[in-house]
Amino acid sequence: MKTLVNSAAYRIAFASSLAFALATLLIGIAVFYAAHVAFARQMDANIEQASSAITAELYDEGMRGVMDAVRGRESGGPDALGYAVFASTGKRVAGALDTPMPPLGWHDIVFRDPREGPDRARARTVGLPGGYRLTVAADKESLEQIDATILTIFGIAFIVVLCIGVAGALILGAYLRRRLARIETTAGAIAGGDLSRRMIVGPHDDEFDRVAASLNAMLDRIVGLIANLRQVTSDLAHDLRTPLMRLRNRLEALHEPAPDDQWAVRIDDAVDNADDVLRLFDAILRISELEEGSLRRNFGPVDLETLVTDIAESHEPLAEDAGKRLSVRIDAPARVEGDRELLAQALINLIENALRHTPEGSAIVIGIGHEGGRPAVYVADTGPGIPADQRDRVVQRFVRLETSRSTPGHGLGLSLVSAIAAAHRARLALRDRAPGLEAVIFFPEETL
Amino acid sequence: MRILIAEDDKETAGFVERGLGELGHNVVVARDGEDALHLGLTEQFDLLVLDRMMPGLDGLSVLKRLRTADITTPALMLTALGRIEDRVAGLDAGADDYLVKPFAFSELAARVHALGRRSAPQAVATRLNTPSLEMDLLAREVRRDGALVLLQPKEFRLLEELMRHAGEFVTRTMLLERVWDFHFDPQTKIVETHISRLRTKLNEGGLPDLIETERGVGYRIRAA
Repeated sequence: MKTLVNSAAYRIAFASSLAFALATLLIGIAVFYAAHVAFARQMDANIEQASSAITAELYDEGMRGVMDAVRGRESGGPDALGYAVFASTGKRVAGALDTPMPPLGWHDIVFRDPREGPDRARARTVGLPGGYRLTVAADKESLEQIDATILTIFGIAFIVVLCIGVAGALILGAYLRRRLARIETTAGAIAGGDLSRRMIVGPHDDEFDRVAASLNAMLDRIVGLIANLRQVTSDLAHDLRTPLMRLRNRLEALHEPAPDDQWAVRIDDAVDNADDVLRLFDAILRISELEEGSLRRNFGPVDLETLVTDIAESHEPLAEDAGKRLSVRIDAPARVEGDRELLAQALINLIENALRHTPEGSAIVIGIGHEGGRPAVYVADTGPGIPADQRDRVVQRFVRLETSRSTPGHGLGLSLVSAIAAAHRARLALRDRAPGLEAVIFFPEETL
Repeated sequence: MRILIAEDDKETAGFVERGLGELGHNVVVARDGEDALHLGLTEQFDLLVLDRMMPGLDGLSVLKRLRTADITTPALMLTALGRIEDRVAGLDAGADDYLVKPFAFSELAARVHALGRRSAPQAVATRLNTPSLEMDLLAREVRRDGALVLLQPKEFRLLEELMRHAGEFVTRTMLLERVWDFHFDPQTKIVETHISRLRTKLNEGGLPDLIETERGVGYRIRAA
C-alpha cells in the first residue's frame, strides 16, 4: 500500500480514474434529476388534463355530469389516475379515491389503496359550485419506479466505471513504474560506480525512450571527461617521472664527495622529497593500470589466510612501535582468484590507514570472514572512524579529510584499494564499527 | 666486472656507463638490439643490462636468442613499462632481474653487484658467515660471537639476504622483492622497522652495530 501512495505514477493514474468516476457520477445525478422532473411534469400534465376534462362537464350537465364523468373514467378500465368528489361536508360522494378531503390546489396526499394499503399520490383538488370539490390523483409509484430504475442503472454504471478506473490505474501505474524502474536501476548502478551501464532505449521513440537516449548521451560525455581526466593525470605522472628521476640521480651523485655532514643531510632530504613525488606518480600509474582492467590475465588462486597472516606478521612491529595492537582473526579460510601482490598492497594500505588515523592504544584487527556467501577480508580499528557522509568521498583520488594536509600521505591510499578491489570484481565497503572503522573487501561468490 | 649495456636512449646509456665506470666496471655500450646480440655472442661479459624496448631487435628477443645459444650470463632487464604484466614477460624471457625506468642509479648499482656475484659458480650454501655472525640456513639458527640470537622468520630472511650479499648494499626494493616477494613499493615502513628489530636483536648487550644504513641507497652488513 505504501508503494501505491509513494508512487507518482500510481498517484497520477488513480487521480485520473477518480476524476473520470466523478464525472460519471455527476452525469448520473444530472440525468436522474432531469428524468425525475420530466416525469413529474408529465404526471402533473395528465392530472391537469383529466381534471379540466371533468370540470368541463360542469358547464354542460352540472354536477351530474361531473359524477358521470368520474364514474365513466373509473369504469373505463385501468387508469393510472384516481378520482374523488367531496361534498362541502368533506364526505366523498363519488369516485373511488379513498382519502380524506385534501385542501384546494396541488398536494402530495396519502390514499388507501384497496390492494396495497396506504400509498402516496400527487393530487389536484379544484372547487366546484355548491361547495363540492374534485380531486384527481396519480399514484406516485410509477415515478418512484422510474427513479429507482435510473438510480440502479447509474449505480451499476458507476461501480463498473470505478472498477475499470482502478484496474486501469493499476495497469497504467505499473507500466509507468516499470519504465521508470529500468531507468532508476541503471542510474543506480551508474551512481554505484559502474559507468559502463547504459539506459535501455526502446523501439517506440516515446517520451521514455527519448529521456533514456538523452541520459545515455550525457553518460557518454561524462565517461569521456573522466577518461580524459585519467589520461591527463597518468600522462602527467608518466612524463614527469623521467626528468624527476634524473634530478634525483644528479642529487645523489652530489652526495659522493659531500663537503660536510650538513651538506649530506640536505642532499638526502632532497632525495627523499623526490622519492615521495616518484612514489605518488607510481601510485597514480598503478591506479590507471588497474582501471584499464587488463590485469585479470595474470590472476591465479590466492590463499587469503596465508596472505593475511603474512601481512599481519610483517606489520605487527610497526603497530607495536606506534603503540597499537594488530591482531589476526580468521573466521573462515578463503581462496580467491586474484593477484597476491595487488591484494597485499590493498591490505597494507588499509593497515597503514588504520595505523595513521587511530590514537595510541587502539586495536587493529585484520581478518577473513564470510558475509552473504561472499568471502571478505577486512581491517577494523577502534579509532575515530569516518563520518557517514564522508565515506564515499575518501575513496576518491587525492581526497583527504583533514583539509590542512599536514600529515604525510597523498590521498591515494583508499582509491588504490578501491581500484584493486574493482580489478578483482570485489567491492570495498567502509562501515562504522561504533567505535572505529571497518574497511571490508567483498569478493564475488564465484571466486570461492 | 665487464658489463654489456644495450640501451638506445643516449642519455640513459651515458649516465649508466659513467656511473658504473666510476664504480670501477668495464662498460661496453650497444646502441641497438643487433649490436647487443652480436657483442653478446662474440664477447665474454660478466653481466648484461638490456633495455627491453629498442628499435629493431628488442631486449626480450636479444635475451631469448642468447639463452638459446647457451649463454647464461646474468641479465638485468630495463623496462620503461612498470606494469605488472611486463614484469612477468621479462622474467619469462630469462632475465635474472629487472628494473623499471626511470630508476635510481644506486638501485641499479646494487642490483648489478648482486647479479655479478651470481655469475661466479656458487655451491648451495647451507651456512653463511661473517667474522662475528654465523648463520645456519638448515637449522635456521643465528649466532653472534657464538651466542644464539632468536629471530622472527621475516627477520631471519632479512639477515639471510644481507649475509648473502655481505659487503654490498642491498636496497629497500631488493629486500621487498626477496624477503616479502613484493614487486611494488607498498609505501610502508616494513623494511625499516624489521631492520631496526633485527639490529636491536643482533646488538643486544651493547655490541657494535653490524648493519650499515646508507640513506636513499640501502643496507649493508660488513663482510669483514
